[in-house]
Amino acid sequence: MNCKDLEPNLWLYLYDELTAGERASVDAHLAACERCRLQLEETRRLHQLLSGCPQPEPTPEMLVHCRQALDAALDREQLGWRGLLRSWFPGFTPFPALRAATVLTLLLFGFGLGWTLRPRATKLEQATGGAVPTSFAGADLANMRISSISQVAPDPQTGAVRITLDAERRVTLEGSLDDPRIRQVLVDTVKRYDNAGIRRDTLDALRTQSHNPSVREALLYALRHDPNAGVRLEALRAVEGMEWGSDVHQSLLDVLERDSNVGVRVAAVDALVEHAEALGEEEALMEVVNRLATRDQNPYVRLKCLAAVQKLEGNED
Amino acid sequence: MDGFCLELAGKIPGETSGLAGGVTERTLIRRAQRGDREAFDALVRQYDQEVLRLVLRVVRSPEEAQDLYQEAFLKAYRSLARFRLESRFSTWLYRLVTNVCFDYLRRQRTRGEVQITEKGDGEGDHAYTIADDRPGLNPEHALRAREIGRRIAKALSRLTPRERMVFELKHWQGLKLRSIGELCGTSEEAAKNSLFRAMQKMREQLGDLV
Repeated sequence: MNCKDLEPNLWLYLYDELTAGERASVDAHLAACERCRLQLEETRRLHQLLSGCPQPEPTPEMLVHCRQALDAALDREQLGWRGLLRSWFPGFTPFPALRAATVLTLLLFGFGLGWTLRPRATKLEQATGGAVPTSFAGADLANMRISSISQVAPDPQTGAVRITLDAERRVTLEGSLDDPRIRQVLVDTVKRYDNAGIRRDTLDALRTQSHNPSVREALLYALRHDPNAGVRLEALRAVEGMEWGSDVHQSLLDVLERDSNVGVRVAAVDALVEHAEALGEEEALMEVVNRLATRDQNPYVRLKCLAAVQKLEGNED
Repeated sequence: MDGFCLELAGKIPGETSGLAGGVTERTLIRRAQRGDREAFDALVRQYDQEVLRLVLRVVRSPEEAQDLYQEAFLKAYRSLARFRLESRFSTWLYRLVTNVCFDYLRRQRTRGEVQITEKGDGEGDHAYTIADDRPGLNPEHALRAREIGRRIAKALSRLTPRERMVFELKHWQGLKLRSIGELCGTSEEAAKNSLFRAMQKMREQLGDLV
């Protein structure tokens, strides 16, 4: 190896990308060439300069924000035409070359289906002896949204077509949060609805009703069990405004110790420290944050708990 | 596969280890391919912190990083049906993320925009990035560190998209050049050449600092 050959290999040498044989050749040349040894040292200094440059780190809040935005985008995606196609054809992969043809075919199918369906609505009922649902009046159709079609079966003999579909009917409820029926719908939504954005909005609506036992229970449930970190964070904000009790305190301690999201854990620390004095729970909280300040795996949580320890110690003075 | 992907694979449950509830990644992928949104969300949570870290380091802007994060995972969601279970999911995902970063860097070059902003000097949104918090830095050292950071960011902006990605993946992510070639859709030799060119340019821009 000569000096000219060495130059492109210096970086590979520093990055440990050379084979054993190549490395031995470089070592042999360096042992005999002071100029190249100086060049290697300069390259190593540049390598260290680059390595020493602090790199941006996403904060827990940034990650929560990103997850929330992605959640909303995926919700929109599911409701869009792609989501509809995927629900009809689970293996659907809209390759660019087939996309236009596929969409056109589906549009033609849709028009054909509508054309076939509307004029034959009454004949269909007669042809099938009344087995077809009869509630498809014009007003109902306008008020329904087809969420999936599981079967389209034309009958060549009668000219009829049987369509099996799931349809949702939009209903608007309006009323006061003091109405237990309204409250119950909202409580069920928090616990069971699959759209995280709606669950979050529901928590916001229920915030002022936290004195109600079922609402209180739903808020604490969302804080501990919601699968979406953004929703858990919203629940935490709602819980902070509640009348503080041992159930709240214990829920927040559990979140601090066990939540999978660092942003939610860090927010729990703030809430606990804020209310510890009022509840007389400083000692119990101090034990937890003291332990986490030294042993938690996450550096942000450790820092936050350390700050909490200092604040609690300050309160004792 | 080696380097970062292996490291990730070690952290991420694969075929033989389980997630909470005994669910493997393979099971999650199958469910997500069938439209199970919660399964997809679980897959996202396994990788998104690393993805966000990578895109933030490439674009150096929290807002852009959030956009790229979303773009990458939306693409993953839309194309998940094409993923073959014989391959490693982390490799597939990171290849997708790398392409998203490439597209971004190419768009920036086309627009003639140069990202030379380095946060950490009191400007910008500290809710999204963490400034250097090494204890014991005196003001003069801190000032010099910030100046070096700006010079490095400027030098990085002069690299081509491929040089930038290869450098990022090699120097700060620690991947092997063979893995980098695979992620960038090229050969190990081409990745090696990109790295060499990148380091030459970095030396030209920063040689006076060493």
